[in-house]
Amino acid sequence: MTKIETTFETLKQDVKEFYKSELHHFITMNGVDLGNDEIEYQWFFCDYAYPCAETVFVTKANVNVMVPSIREVVEPAWVAEAELSDLLGIEIENAEKGFMLEVDSDPAPLRKKK
Amino acid sequence: MATQYEIPIGAQHISLLEPLHFKFTTENEKIIKAEANVGYVHRGIEQACCSKFKFRQVSFVVGRVCGLCSISHTTCYSQVIERMMSLDIPRKAKYLRMLVIELDRIHSHLLCLSHVAENSGFEALFMKTMAYREFSMELLEAVCGNRIQYDYSIVGGVTRDLREDVARMILERLKTFKPQLDELVDIYGNNYTLGLKNKGVGVLTKEDVYHLSAVGPFARAAGVPIDVRNETEDRLPWKEVGFEVVTENSGDVWARNMVRLRELYVSMRIIENVINGLPEGDIALDFKGFPNGEAINRVEAPRGELFYYAKGNKTQILERLKIKAPTFSNVPSMVHGFKNNEYASAPAIIGSYDPCLSCTSR
Repeated sequence: MTKIETTFETLKQDVKEFYKSELHHFITMNGVDLGNDEIEYQWFFCDYAYPCAETVFVTKANVNVMVPSIREVVEPAWVAEAELSDLLGIEIENAEKGFMLEVDSDPAPLRKKK
Repeated sequence: MATQYEIPIGAQHISLLEPLHFKFTTENEKIIKAEANVGYVHRGIEQACCSKFKFRQVSFVVGRVCGLCSISHTTCYSQVIERMMSLDIPRKAKYLRMLVIELDRIHSHLLCLSHVAENSGFEALFMKTMAYREFSMELLEAVCGNRIQYDYSIVGGVTRDLREDVARMILERLKTFKPQLDELVDIYGNNYTLGLKNKGVGVLTKEDVYHLSAVGPFARAAGVPIDVRNETEDRLPWKEVGFEVVTENSGDVWARNMVRLRELYVSMRIIENVINGLPEGDIALDFKGFPNGEAINRVEAPRGELFYYAKGNKTQILERLKIKAPTFSNVPSMVHGFKNNEYASAPAIIGSYDPCLSCTSR
């Protein structure tokens, strides 16, 4: 797995330079609560070619910072963004709320309890 | 402009096996827009796996993510931990995992096909397909002890060896199933009425697949040869037991049916080769230690690419476990595939998507 460090400022551009829809498919977006209000964000891709190589874009950020969406570049990313926004209780640009959790669910179940 | 109507299907609907909601905007019976809601059965399994269960117990938890592709989840989880801990499991265990994965694919594909037949109004074919499917459920019970939710793959190997009488039974039952499968291929492929309901309906083009990152039979029916079994020789030796990718080109409901049916021949060949070439030795690795670091793994479940990410911290409890199911990847394609189809075709299209909401929502 190839890891590419990125930042919120350069994420869209970095993904745009890498992603070619005939060569790679988007796997999913993930977030890991590191504690102290910091989250590691990951965007996973995989090649269509054999042998297949997996690539992940990684960055860390404070939980209160709005996460940019990569939907403009990778259209199917909206599903993973909507899910992660619910489960981690984070703000992702244009992400639909209530996609995975009901309105009366406990918010942000994947966040570490303080 | 014609009058537009919004028509919901689900979350509870006769044509749906699981709670899933689509909202169609229609114009003169034609679907011009679709929206999906897939979050009705979120159970917090990822959180439970990282808080309530030790990492060796998690195999049994993720086996309950889905009744239909339980073996894909337990295998994918076991492999992600094995990768993180650099465990090389016995060769026999790899073969046995492939055996159960392919038996599972047979029962899952036949369930999907029967569902498409029923949603296309061909109930006799639904009953015939379900009747033929029964042998795979019995074989899974004979091998694993359960018809569904088989706790077979564990970290380090598998839980049960294959008894000789069960191996013989599998080979005999496959011989009986072969002409039944030929019959199904003939009906699904050539029946005139079913063709009217399935051909040219719910089309996803090759370009759509690339653009929307579709996976599984959904993508292969449009001519994109994406299959994790084609990529992961290091974890399970698929090509050694006769795997080959199956594709069709038309990308419609008919093509999805044909991909699934033709894949059953490949599954049968793999099962026969696994049994005839089953290595001697242990079925599980004895190991010590705790997972540390992070790893990812992918497995080709019946509906497509299943993805696991795990992060360990040298304790019994994982730091994070992420599960991405194939239906989750296919949500954008599912929404897209309805456009410009008759509303009356929606049930057959949904059936051909083979959506699994237990996996998707977890």
